[in-house]
Amino acid sequence: MLTMGIDIGSTTCKCIIFKDGSEIVGRAIVPLGTGTSGPQQVFQTALSSGGFVREDMERILVTGYGRFSFDEADTQKSEITCHAQGIHYLFPSARTVIDIGGQDIKVLHISGRGMADNFVMNDKCAAGTGRFLDVMAGVLNVRTEDLGSISMEAENEVRISNTCTVFAESEVISKLSANVRLADLVAGIHTSVATRVASLVFRNGVVKDVAMSGGVALNQGIVRALSRELKTDILIHKDCQFAGAIGAALIANQELLRQARDNKK
Amino acid sequence: MAENNVPAPKREIPKSRVMVNQQTAQIYANAWAAKEKGEPVGWSTAIFPQEIAETFGLPVLYPENNAAAISAKHLGDPFIQHAEGEMRYPINICSYARMNIGMADKMSGEKYERVEPAMPVPDFLLLANNSCTQLMKWYENLSRNLGIPIFFVDCLFNYYEEPPAPHKIKYVRSQIENCIKDMETFFGKKFDWDRFLEIQQRSQINRKLFNEIVKLNSRTPAPMNGFDLFNYMSPLVLCRGQESTTAIFEQLKLEVLELIATNTSTFTAKEQHRVHWEGIACWPNLGYNLKMLKSYGVNAVMNGYVTAWDVAYEPGDLDGMAKAYQMSSTNSFSTPSIMAKRAKSIKDYSCDGMLCHVNRSCKMMTFHIFVGHEIIEEQTGVPCANFDGDQSDTRVFSEAQFETRLQALVEIMQHNKEAQND
Repeated sequence: MLTMGIDIGSTTCKCIIFKDGSEIVGRAIVPLGTGTSGPQQVFQTALSSGGFVREDMERILVTGYGRFSFDEADTQKSEITCHAQGIHYLFPSARTVIDIGGQDIKVLHISGRGMADNFVMNDKCAAGTGRFLDVMAGVLNVRTEDLGSISMEAENEVRISNTCTVFAESEVISKLSANVRLADLVAGIHTSVATRVASLVFRNGVVKDVAMSGGVALNQGIVRALSRELKTDILIHKDCQFAGAIGAALIANQELLRQARDNKK
Repeated sequence: MAENNVPAPKREIPKSRVMVNQQTAQIYANAWAAKEKGEPVGWSTAIFPQEIAETFGLPVLYPENNAAAISAKHLGDPFIQHAEGEMRYPINICSYARMNIGMADKMSGEKYERVEPAMPVPDFLLLANNSCTQLMKWYENLSRNLGIPIFFVDCLFNYYEEPPAPHKIKYVRSQIENCIKDMETFFGKKFDWDRFLEIQQRSQINRKLFNEIVKLNSRTPAPMNGFDLFNYMSPLVLCRGQESTTAIFEQLKLEVLELIATNTSTFTAKEQHRVHWEGIACWPNLGYNLKMLKSYGVNAVMNGYVTAWDVAYEPGDLDGMAKAYQMSSTNSFSTPSIMAKRAKSIKDYSCDGMLCHVNRSCKMMTFHIFVGHEIIEEQTGVPCANFDGDQSDTRVFSEAQFETRLQALVEIMQHNKEAQND
């Protein structure tokens, strides 16, 4: 039984194909978000990766910001539920999930069965999100995915006091003008994101184990800064960026099983 | 949007709603007629002891109510922009205040285009700070800009969980008495204490009736779409001491009892989940909010706002009245007190969750939400979700954010139900 989960984010699309809810048999990631060709690309690429066609998929569940505009899907769920299920699959011991997405930050408490019990998200502004890091990378003329390794070279981390993306951009430019080392600046940016995210985590309460999902979790500088702020280790899986899509595919599988059970009754 | 949107048949406007509209139109018409005759017209904060103005027979309108009505029609932006622009008020203050101060300033200009429901320029102000401390600066600004007096009842904040101490009640009572004296002088009228008692009695009849109606929504499924409660608050705000309000609520009660008898509801979708709505309505987005709630089968059966006009006291007992006005709005309560009321309400109305409006304008109603989540989850076991919005400022609300958070709340509520049934 093949099920597909697609996570259509604001900046990236991720897709996972599961066999019988236990084995990943196809995957794809496309650095384009909703409103672009990203959803179609990720869908086709994931099918090709496992040598499948659309008809092989018994159920397709879509999540993420673009979940209402993908016609190939059978159903949709919120990112909160999908990330909870996805992280539970990757780390069954996780009880707190931190997801730094392109436009929002989510902190979830999950049960031993991978269901979200409650969640908090950023309010009022999008400071500290993935987009914030993209803007900073643009100002520094480096790739977003390189920020983590650059920050590892920091010797005298500088303080970035503004959380507002626009003001922080100006602050970073002024530090560059003052010849601050790139690595020290990037480390400061990571700490600024980490303090913002940590306040949300503390609002919900730190329940161990703590895991991160989403692409930002691949940034080791952010993970290190956040771990320092939270005073706890953070679990990072190599497939953390796929957590939402994994959860979506698993939920699609559960829905099929439930349908089959109901049909038998 | 969710797939289970149930198309609703076009319903006739219930008689009670027609009566509310007529009452509102009459109140505004009376104010304009008084103005044309050169008689004084007042603007009042929403929970001022209206019994006083009613006894004096003064035409009074309510800027907060007016701002809500204009916001719901999406007509408030020019006034807010005027307040922020030419008048230099900051974006961080209440949007009702910005809208009303901007409107008051535009009224005196030559190019003023009336936006309905339009209020005449006031000649006096009635102010009670029991629902918000920012009201004082808002009304001081109006007073200064328009050169008109304020009659002020200073209601103390209830910092602790016990009822107000006797000296605090005495403090509020003395101000009510002082207001009456000052108003006698200003209006050149003797205060009629017998009439005052009648108005108090009528106010109690009306608030009790409204309470009875609200309580009917504790039934499952609820007879009313919870958002209806927002619409029926208007008679309590505008005419709490009038017989026309009694007539409206008696009619509404009949209608709700009829809905119960026929097992129908004004919530036109299937009620799959019941939530407690925390905070003022997002007036400019009320239609969208309701559409989304319906599409997920969520009825916001109760909210923490409608009880603010439940000003309960024994007619003739001025101490009791002073105490009641000091304790009417939960905005003047400590967080444990507010959340204890919300937790009780969540249990009484069988709510599966709480949906909290993080209202950029209303700090008083918003700051307690974050710590309140924990209290609610501990005391009731239901999940809570926040969304950003504003009571009037159209620049804050995000449709996508609202739906994502609502959907996540629905998924958690659904899971909780399934877990209970397992």
